[in-house]
Amino acid sequence: MSMTTAKPIVRSAPDMRKQKALLKGAFYVGGTLLVLIWLIPVVIAVFTAGKSMAELMSSPFMWTPPRQWTLENFRSAWTNAGMARYMMNSFIITIPSVLGTLAISSLGAYALAFYQFKLNRAILIVFVSGMLIPFQMLMIPVFRFSDAMGLMNTYRGVTLFHVAFQLGFCVYFLRNFMRTLPFSLIEATRMDGASEFTIYLRIIMPLAIPSIAALGVLQFTWIWNDLLWSIVLLNANRVMTITQGLANMQGQFITNYAIIAAGSILAALPPLVVFLFFQRFFISGLTVGAEKG
Amino acid sequence: MKKVLTLILAVLVAASVFAGGGQQASGQQELIINSYMSDQAPKEAFEALVADFESKNPTIKVTVNTTAHEQFKTLLPNWLTSRQAPDVVTWFAGYRMQAFAQRGQLEPISRAFPGNTFQDSFPEAFVRASSFNNEIYFLPQSWYWWAVYYNTEVFDNLGLEIPKTWDDFLAVSEVMKQNGIAPIAIGARDTWTAGGWFDYLNSAINGMDFHVQLTSGQVPYTDPRVQKTFETFADLQTRGYIMPNATSYSWQEAATLLFNGQAGMYLMGQFIKDVAPAEVRDKIDFFHFPSFGLPGYAVDTPIDGFMVPANARNKDAAMKFMAYLATPEAQALFTVPLGRLAANKNVPPPNDDARRGLEMVLGAEGAMQFYDRDAPEEMAARGMDALLEAMQNPGRIPQILATLDQDRVRIHRD
Repeated sequence: MSMTTAKPIVRSAPDMRKQKALLKGAFYVGGTLLVLIWLIPVVIAVFTAGKSMAELMSSPFMWTPPRQWTLENFRSAWTNAGMARYMMNSFIITIPSVLGTLAISSLGAYALAFYQFKLNRAILIVFVSGMLIPFQMLMIPVFRFSDAMGLMNTYRGVTLFHVAFQLGFCVYFLRNFMRTLPFSLIEATRMDGASEFTIYLRIIMPLAIPSIAALGVLQFTWIWNDLLWSIVLLNANRVMTITQGLANMQGQFITNYAIIAAGSILAALPPLVVFLFFQRFFISGLTVGAEKG
Repeated sequence: MKKVLTLILAVLVAASVFAGGGQQASGQQELIINSYMSDQAPKEAFEALVADFESKNPTIKVTVNTTAHEQFKTLLPNWLTSRQAPDVVTWFAGYRMQAFAQRGQLEPISRAFPGNTFQDSFPEAFVRASSFNNEIYFLPQSWYWWAVYYNTEVFDNLGLEIPKTWDDFLAVSEVMKQNGIAPIAIGARDTWTAGGWFDYLNSAINGMDFHVQLTSGQVPYTDPRVQKTFETFADLQTRGYIMPNATSYSWQEAATLLFNGQAGMYLMGQFIKDVAPAEVRDKIDFFHFPSFGLPGYAVDTPIDGFMVPANARNKDAAMKFMAYLATPEAQALFTVPLGRLAANKNVPPPNDDARRGLEMVLGAEGAMQFYDRDAPEEMAARGMDALLEAMQNPGRIPQILATLDQDRVRIHRD
């Protein structure tokens, strides 16, 4: 979250150093404050998850720590509310979706970045404009289509739609990154007789790893957190995703905030782990390709 | 290394697309039920019911799919037109069911009830709410009542009596206000909480018949009688009887104020007892909505139950399930643990509360289903918003009602 790379530059003037130290102090205080403010909702969620329903309903102060910590809510979310099953389903849908999106979009981006053909720009514009269509508009066509194709309540149905809908952004992102690579790299390899696929696989992909990783983290979070397509395409509990599971914890009348908080914390863990794992790519990868259009 | 990675990638993608499981063998005897009962207590009661049905019909395997209530309402129209429709779905009696029956999306369930067994099991009002064009499409299961819930401790401490008339009600509210207790709790962030007020005020002020005409779209909202209803509600706010910042509370958060004794009364459904912590549950009681001097009174009693989509794939099993659900044993199995009332008239009320609730309902001249079930849902949503707007801007009531009536004309024309 906070990173400091600036090394203090040695200067002889003592007041200059003093000023630097002061700035640095202010930076840390400000940074810590910001982090604390950002953490407030998380802390409240943890507190809520640790309380019993009776305590929650009898005290209006959600920001106080529980009088008695209980892990009961986590257990209840995991087993009674079926989070275990839902989380498994989310993995079954998210991982192939992310891999599929990355594989197909990197191929598309490679073609759009390095091949000169007539409709290159037009195709890119199609991809970009695809990003602009609100998905809610497509709900009914998607539902009708999946219903007719027998894709309802199947993992592959949701996976296919995720891949399709994420392609626009990913192709655009990766194509912009690949344009920043020197074209001579490709010319040289071509000269040596490498096939196009070899160039893609052996030259471009290794160079693209930081941005692919960054994109993968983004995609993982988005697809993991998706509720819309899961709701439209999955209505059997057997295949429902974790976001639907969380939504199902809200009753018609009664909402057990404590169990929902516990469930939300559980649901947030996988994206967090993925992010921590790929963190070093994330910051550098996101900005690559941002400056050339 | 890169090659291996790509290979794994390709295999994973291919596997997910082609082998990805989830397709079930559609056995003749699988019964799929899509349910909106996501609350813990009803969900468990329903599971017990299904288990009992399965033990009585060993050849039928029941799969219950639960979807959160609000999403269920949005998705049901999709499911009903789907080729892979569920076999049984949960739903509401009255207008909300009839709208689907009118479009031919429901299967009549009469054949599950040979002779007059349906009419013999359920009260006449329920049979009417379950029918469309003389065909039965709906199986009523349970129902509950709306009433003014109050904190008995607050009433005892202040020496208050249960108000019978509106003037009593205002007097009781005044005493609470003087003592620093919010007289009326309402979690108006959930706009449906205003629906109860609309139903009870309008039927108490203008009579049940007028209310029915209004919700079925035959009377304009600009009618002076409707204006009286809105003004009466806004008056509560002007007098300072409604809890502060009502619109920023969910119904459940506002209930906490009632439980704590920070608020005195709350017009709510019977399910408010489900959220009361055990130590205050006995302190919460209910009384009937105060009278405006009319001889009869109406009650809000939403009926919940089941229907069979016309596209259901296993209608035989669905009909067996319908017949089973109507039996007094099955109805008791669901309603007794929840303290609700069974639709079947041969099931006795499960506890003292329910007995009093039943008495209140039997004494009424008519039963309402609740605003958003008696009127088209969009109309009700507008109406409840309008009521809350009137609460905050009492001076603008004529304009608010004029806009609302434009909505009525448009919605009822469709």
